[in-house]
Amino acid sequence: MIVRPGLLGLAAALALVATAAAQQPAPNPGRDAVMSKCFQCHTDAMFRDQRQDRRAWEATIYRMIGRGGLYTPDEIKLMADYLATDFGPDSKPASPAGSK
Amino acid sequence: MRDLVARYLNHALSRRGFVRGLTKAGLTATAAQSVLSSVSSVAGAQSAVPPTPGAPARAATTIPAAAANAGSAAVKPFQGPGGAAFAEQLIASGVKYVFGNSASEDAQFYEALVDRPQLKYILTPHEGPGAAMAAGYIKASGEPAIVMQAAVVGMANAMGQIFNAFKEQTPLVVYSYRTDQSRRAGRDGFEEVPNQEQIVQPITKYSWLARRADMIPETVRRAFKAAWTPPHGPAYISWHSDYNDERVRTEIIAQDQFDPRMRVRPDPDEIERAAKLLVEAKMPLLIVGDEVSKAKAVGKAMKLAEMLGMPVTQVRQLYANFPETHPLWVGNVPAGTLRSQPYPKNPDVIINVGNKFQHNSPAPIVPRGPTFIDMRIDAASMGNVMLTAVPLVADVGLGLDDLIAAVGQLMTPTLKQKAAERAEEVRKYAENAKTLRAMVANSPDWDQSPLIADRVTWEIAHFADPDAIIVNEAGSVAMHSFDFNPLGGRELFYYYGAHLGSGVGTAAGVKLARPNQQVICMVGDGSFIFGPTALWNMARLELPVITVVYNNHAYSGPHSRVISKAPGGRMVQTRQFVHDYLGNPDMNMADIARGFGVAGEVVQSPAQLREALGRARQHTVEGKPYLLDVQVARKGVAWSDKPWIPPIRVAEMRQRKV
Repeated sequence: MIVRPGLLGLAAALALVATAAAQQPAPNPGRDAVMSKCFQCHTDAMFRDQRQDRRAWEATIYRMIGRGGLYTPDEIKLMADYLATDFGPDSKPASPAGSK
Repeated sequence: MRDLVARYLNHALSRRGFVRGLTKAGLTATAAQSVLSSVSSVAGAQSAVPPTPGAPARAATTIPAAAANAGSAAVKPFQGPGGAAFAEQLIASGVKYVFGNSASEDAQFYEALVDRPQLKYILTPHEGPGAAMAAGYIKASGEPAIVMQAAVVGMANAMGQIFNAFKEQTPLVVYSYRTDQSRRAGRDGFEEVPNQEQIVQPITKYSWLARRADMIPETVRRAFKAAWTPPHGPAYISWHSDYNDERVRTEIIAQDQFDPRMRVRPDPDEIERAAKLLVEAKMPLLIVGDEVSKAKAVGKAMKLAEMLGMPVTQVRQLYANFPETHPLWVGNVPAGTLRSQPYPKNPDVIINVGNKFQHNSPAPIVPRGPTFIDMRIDAASMGNVMLTAVPLVADVGLGLDDLIAAVGQLMTPTLKQKAAERAEEVRKYAENAKTLRAMVANSPDWDQSPLIADRVTWEIAHFADPDAIIVNEAGSVAMHSFDFNPLGGRELFYYYGAHLGSGVGTAAGVKLARPNQQVICMVGDGSFIFGPTALWNMARLELPVITVVYNNHAYSGPHSRVISKAPGGRMVQTRQFVHDYLGNPDMNMADIARGFGVAGEVVQSPAQLREALGRARQHTVEGKPYLLDVQVARKGVAWSDKPWIPPIRVAEMRQRKV
């Protein structure tokens, strides 16, 4: 069965974001947008090790639109900026959720 | 004399030859004429065309007046081979098309078809796509059909599509004989397996082995009755192969004599409760499902939503069951449960009309909290997962009639004002959502080659006719931009059952049923390669379908889902996936299509796609099918440009150049 499987990339950040959020409570609108917009559909497991540049993250977000995700241009920019910063090509690999 | 009668009834003997044979057998000329007269009345009754299970009212007009007036016309005595009785009963059950694969032991059935042109046999080169074609025809026409194969081996090939019919509640009737004859059964003979008819039992509504040759017609009737009584579903019938050859005296009976005409009205008390809950709700939500389309009740669902200013959504189904351009349509549920639906966030009363609900996670689709009303004819699957405050077991067309009337009686001016205000809120959301959805075309990858899947879909959506039928078996592809509208606009046939290899066959069957609508089949390369043989049927029958293969040379869905189960694991670290890459060598689907007699081409870029779609349209205008093999980019986690292939190198094992 193949059911909307390609909910690509955004949730790459999700587990890590959750962990990071707990450790770093500093305001981060991009991270907040990812958490509020992506966690509705995703679990974090599929994409926690994804690393790609801003353009690729932006393309990933646009792929979610076809699958029912609704984002304003500002939200897309915030999310792409955040993901490119924390999950860019040079970012360290994430630890699996719940481990160090 | 029995043989003479049988040959005459089977049109193997002229009237004169029949009389001559009788006199040779010792009858006087007067006696022979008397026999001819009585036998001719039987033969005449056999040619009456009965109503179909799917459309009794329309088909009833096809019954000759004399036959319709005669009380006995519905029951016709029959003498002849079991195979011919089978054919006669299919005609009496309203079947026009037989979708079959070659089966030696059906000789007497084939023999009977020669003089029964009203029963058309479509030879399908593989039982799977053949069954998909039959199911597509049934779904798009609302008329009965039958799938025939050879013994258990043919049945096994068709089982995937029987499964789909079971999941999608399609009234597909399937027959295959037992190769073992009745007097040698149980000896482990050729193509024999014990309890053949029981193999499909879990995925059929009815499966049966006829015990006598003269019970073939009755078995056929019961199969169609079971399949076409709501909720619909597949039926499987079988009998020993020698029964097809055996001479029988039996009855052929019009199917309408066995149709229970099951149209159930809901409990009036429950309707009152549902209406009260809905009019008092702060934010009601309507979920629609396939029973709405099957009952032709889309307009009624729309009316109920409009009376209440109620937003409308849908979770995974076969059809698009509500106009997606309607201001109360808030979009399909993006993921498995209502929690993923952006709006409305907190509905307090949810009514489901006709959605079977495919639960794909432990969390129920409708969460605990909101009051839940469930209206469906499929009572067996109600109340199994969600708490159901108001169950409404009903034909949803009749149920909506009653609910609309009950809501209408409760609507005060104040409630109407409240509903109007809510409708305005929903309209604003829907309008904004439409704007945001259109941003799919702003992707930075929009113009790339190979194309992103969203671009292919967008181009097809902007190419398709306003009333096109879209058959979709492209699993990893998001369906957007089509604005489906079952009320005269674009229609969707989705691969709900998900046994892959159904798309091309389904599209062929849909086109057979709806020759005057454009039919476009969207199919992934992985799905396509499970069932391309129906392309040959498109070519032979001149079914002008446009097939678009999203060819990323991979199983994208399994790729992503495997990673979700082993995140950060060895597969991701090493980029070694054994299960998902279909390239190297790359399959050329246009070449495959040409092998089946269907023209096609490979498309590399967005500009080429537009031109190719134009050529596809030209082919279909001329009555020919066409296939586009569109090269699509692999997107997602851990794809390599040149994916790894398991190192199995037979060349290194070869010691002889043979």
